[in-house]
Amino acid sequence: MKLSRDGIGGLVVFAGSLVLIWMTLGLKDNPLVPIGPGFYPRIVIGICAVLGFAMFVNDWHDQRKAGPAPAKAPRDGPSLNYTLVGLMFAVFAVYAVALPFLGFRIATFAYVAATNALLAPPTEPKHWVRVAILALATAFLTHLLFENYLSVLLPRGRWTGL
Amino acid sequence: MFELLASGIANIVQFKYLIPLAIGSLIGVVGGALPGITITMTVIVVLPFTFGLEPLQGLAAMIGVYVGGETGGLITSCLLGIPGKPSAVATTFDGFPMAKKGEPGRALWLGIWASIFGGLLGAVVLVGATGPLAKMALEFGPWEYFSLFVLALSMVAGLVEASLVKGLVAGAIGLVITVLGNDPVMGKPRLTFGIEFLEGGVPFLPVLIGVFAFAQLMSEVERMGGGRDAFAAVDRAVNLAVSHFKVIGEILARPILLLWSSFIGLVIGVLPAIGGSAANMLAYDQAKKFSKHPEKFGTGIPEGIIASESSNNANVAGSLVTIMAFGIPGDAVTAVMLGALTIHGIQSGPLFILQNPVLAYGMFAAYIVAHALVLIILWIGVRWMLRIVTVPKAALFPVVLVLCVIGAYALNNTMDNIYVLLISGLFGYGMVKFGFPLAPFILGVILGDQIEINLVRAIMTDDNPWLFLTRPISGGLLIASVLSVALAVWQHRRQQRKGVAPAQDDVDF
Repeated sequence: MKLSRDGIGGLVVFAGSLVLIWMTLGLKDNPLVPIGPGFYPRIVIGICAVLGFAMFVNDWHDQRKAGPAPAKAPRDGPSLNYTLVGLMFAVFAVYAVALPFLGFRIATFAYVAATNALLAPPTEPKHWVRVAILALATAFLTHLLFENYLSVLLPRGRWTGL
Repeated sequence: MFELLASGIANIVQFKYLIPLAIGSLIGVVGGALPGITITMTVIVVLPFTFGLEPLQGLAAMIGVYVGGETGGLITSCLLGIPGKPSAVATTFDGFPMAKKGEPGRALWLGIWASIFGGLLGAVVLVGATGPLAKMALEFGPWEYFSLFVLALSMVAGLVEASLVKGLVAGAIGLVITVLGNDPVMGKPRLTFGIEFLEGGVPFLPVLIGVFAFAQLMSEVERMGGGRDAFAAVDRAVNLAVSHFKVIGEILARPILLLWSSFIGLVIGVLPAIGGSAANMLAYDQAKKFSKHPEKFGTGIPEGIIASESSNNANVAGSLVTIMAFGIPGDAVTAVMLGALTIHGIQSGPLFILQNPVLAYGMFAAYIVAHALVLIILWIGVRWMLRIVTVPKAALFPVVLVLCVIGAYALNNTMDNIYVLLISGLFGYGMVKFGFPLAPFILGVILGDQIEINLVRAIMTDDNPWLFLTRPISGGLLIASVLSVALAVWQHRRQQRKGVAPAQDDVDF
């Protein structure tokens, strides 16, 4: 059975909805109120399950009707750089984890430097200087502006106290 | 009404409100002009700056971004042929050819003046219609609210061009997100997976920021690396001199086009979550259909620019009507505004104008004054805009993401919001890759709680479910929901029969 991304997406939504519906079955109704905590979630998740299943069936039907897939035509324009996207998410995840330990200024400096270097890899020493200036300026100016002028508190580092 | 508006204008021109409005307008113009950075992204970036401000200061800044962004988007459309934002796509069709023919100043200023006129025509409806609509909504009971929110959601799902089922699935997933956490009646935890943070529900602003920021930035990142610089060959010293009287005369000589395009923009703005991207295309299409010389469209004629730009600025007024009268965001920008209102403890919806007349009329005034400010900003700074918009994305994106982190964290000073931001980002990017539209998802997340609360309230008031259909307004709204989905199904079938591939682009959300 061949499925496109729609079919796979529909199947994931359907399976996820079934798990959530099963979880709502454990929610007990309260005799004091006419509708329990599981009433609305069951309706919404049920609709989600039906729609996910419809998406899957729709796609399965379309794929059967279309027959064997023709050879993939070459993509117009540059190829998509998913490795870079993956790295961007990974660096952001490290930033999110490091923030409460290193504090806003140090973590942000490291994050901006890493992301900037990832997106435009420095090849000469002056490029590294540019990366450092951008990271420093972002970390310290945002901290100064938000903490001192806009009264917005930013994360403090458990390890650094900054 | 006029007294309140006059006092709103007197209020907004005070320095403490005018400065955030002017800064917001400037940021909006730059954000709107930057290809790959939408107005939603720009308003998300501005959001954390508003936390420490008074509500009207913050909202004025956001309105400035919104108006400035809609106008700024035309700069690169006209001068580079690259739309600064989705709602300026149609401006490219005639703006760029006109600029290539040696009239870049005329193309640009036709767009700017048409934006100003369209926006101000929208202001008439914004000021005149919001109050009466809110008064009408005050008559609503929980049945009507439930049906209204269902209509909003079904319309958005149905209007997504790529796939109706996907639009509905996206909306349903948004609703599912809102059932995580304590139930609104007895406060009993449900579907929390044992995570204490989830007991309070999933906060919608980190979700909105994460979904949009990552979906948009990562879609740009995946095209980076190895490609040529789109701005490498840009002539940054282009001559933009033009006679403004002549340009204004050209626009005012086409009053029907201006009025009709602004009307289209307004109506599309009032409809939830459709946005300027649909408004400018539809207005352009209408202008072409009613023109005596449709074959000239796309060759650099003023009608194309006027239609597109007047409609997308009028669209802003329409979106503001919906959020101020009903509490339903007209698009992603107003969804962020809704979040900003919530942060300041202000309840949006029909009571908003009655309970906060100073704030409401201050918002109207900010919308009107923002047009003047945008005009001044562009008058002074348009010659430098091409230099600003060619800033490298490698430097811009990390800064934008840091501001998103601040926006999420500062909501209630908890790291959990940053984790929600990251998970939402992954989820949003995944949705884009699987071709799910973001608009219905976000509307589901925003309206989910209200739909549940009103459903529960209605059933607890009277357990007769037929009341949803037998109460005239509620029944009418539910019938309209069914009709909107049926219309969407019919349109999709018709497109399929004609063999037209549906557009994969998302709406403005």
